[in-house]
Amino acid sequence: MSKIIEFTNICKQFKIPEKKNGKWSFLSNFFKRKYKIIQALDNINFSINEGDIVGYIGPNGAGKSTTIKIMSGILTPTSGECIINGYIPWKSRKEYVKNIGVVFGQRSQLWWDVPVIDSFELLKDIYKISDEEYKETLNILNKALNLEELLSRPLRQLSLGQKMKCELAGSLLHKPKILFLDEPTIGLDAVTKLAVRDFVKYINKVWNTTIILTTHDMNDIEALTNKIILIGKGKILYNGSFDNIKHQYANEKIIQVEFTKPYENVYLDGYELISHEKNVATFKTLNNTEFHTKSFLNEISQKYDIVDFSINSLSVDEILARLYKEYKL
Amino acid sequence: MLYNKYLKMHLKSSLEYKANTIFLSMAQALIFIGEILGVWLLFLKFEAVGEWGFYDSLLMSGVVMTSFSLMECFARGYDEFPNLIKNGTLDRLLVRPVNIHYQLLGAKIEFSKFLRIILGITVSIIAIINMNINWNILKIIVLISMYLSGCIIIFGLMILCAGISIYTIENLEFTNIITNGSKELAYYPINIYKKWLTRIFTFIIPIACFNYLPLSFLLETGSIPLWLCGISPFLGMLFIIPCLIFFNFSLKKYQGTGT
Repeated sequence: MSKIIEFTNICKQFKIPEKKNGKWSFLSNFFKRKYKIIQALDNINFSINEGDIVGYIGPNGAGKSTTIKIMSGILTPTSGECIINGYIPWKSRKEYVKNIGVVFGQRSQLWWDVPVIDSFELLKDIYKISDEEYKETLNILNKALNLEELLSRPLRQLSLGQKMKCELAGSLLHKPKILFLDEPTIGLDAVTKLAVRDFVKYINKVWNTTIILTTHDMNDIEALTNKIILIGKGKILYNGSFDNIKHQYANEKIIQVEFTKPYENVYLDGYELISHEKNVATFKTLNNTEFHTKSFLNEISQKYDIVDFSINSLSVDEILARLYKEYKL
Repeated sequence: MLYNKYLKMHLKSSLEYKANTIFLSMAQALIFIGEILGVWLLFLKFEAVGEWGFYDSLLMSGVVMTSFSLMECFARGYDEFPNLIKNGTLDRLLVRPVNIHYQLLGAKIEFSKFLRIILGITVSIIAIINMNINWNILKIIVLISMYLSGCIIIFGLMILCAGISIYTIENLEFTNIITNGSKELAYYPINIYKKWLTRIFTFIIPIACFNYLPLSFLLETGSIPLWLCGISPFLGMLFIIPCLIFFNFSLKKYQGTGT
């Protein structure tokens, strides 16, 4: 597999004017500005293979959108090198952007007041897509996303989910080699979310499109990506498969037990009590100990009368929260 | 052509809001009529302002209004540049394989300015009929160049203000002063103002190049050599070059800072 995106030592600093407070401060702010330098990206190195679906995750303000903006040629980095699809994005912007598609989850690229199909026709001209190719691509997108009835309606009449479907189609009309999705499932209902996920997978399969997506929805990550890049405070903290991370936390179980009657001072050797309320107690396995259902049941039933119990692994959200905590984000 | 498509899209969009477009046009036309009344009242009181009579000022109002409205109609994208930055549209434009200026021209077309363009032309015609000018081919060329120069200089001003807004982000009243202030100023001969003001509006923001100077050529008045007055509209058009350079430089800066 060939590398399609290569980031080498990318740094990005922002100068942010510091504001003084006070009655006449706006004057002094105007004449002598003090700047605070913020390191948005600090020596970012990674590469992405052609055909990968990569989840780019991190807490708010970690530098995700800065990276996306650099990758899509909108921003120039302070230092470092970046080669995507053979181009330096910000240097040969016009050539480079022909081969990328960008979906900003909360901002539309389509026209508000005219039928969606008209917006598509405009995009056809912008990307100089030939009639045949346009017809063919639109047909594929149409089938995959069920757009047929949406296309003749103005964007403002569509629901959020329908809009997102149209956005996705719009950003793929020119069959880009790389697709950037900035929070594509934000605010969507469950059905549409699944449809969007299926579609992203489908596109990746049929066109071998490399997809980079940022999201806060960990289920997106789990369902779609074969690789994640975790960024925090401008640094890359983890770069690898998501399964690896999941494996690290696989031993950790949360066990909830319901007793027949309320006990006081519930305690169990080898387990940590997380919460205890009347007749329900929640335990957690201690670090690096494997969980055995049988021995746990034996031990607890010797001490207490239990009605019911459930064993849960950490959810993906919890794993991520754990990761953030570990890296002190 | 791509621009035709933009044009069609904007037309379709504004047809969705017919009433809005009509009322907006009328309101703006009324403002213009108010301004013309202001000029008329002034000349009721003072017979002449500088070297100009009422119809001379009226022609200038027509020139300014026509070119100003034309540019507000077709170069609205530059006018609304601060909004484009704020709502992320600029980022959107930057990921398209089309020149940014082409896209900005297509980004917004304001059809509600049409009525003002028509009014501007009407007022100009009324003024020309009533002015005492010995027309010849050169004068007609200069007259047409006044409109062209007006359009280009105002376009330059809009590009300049758009460039400034990259640094300030907010749509500062300051930029309004530049564009609207220059507009009002241009209704009267530029040499009636304070000398420093005259100089600024001749050499820095060359309002005089589509206002006082070419009209002096048409009227054969003033102390400045007539040939210089005649070519001044063409010299004024050069104003757009530094504006474009500044804008492109600022855009590079935007890509550096991402404010």
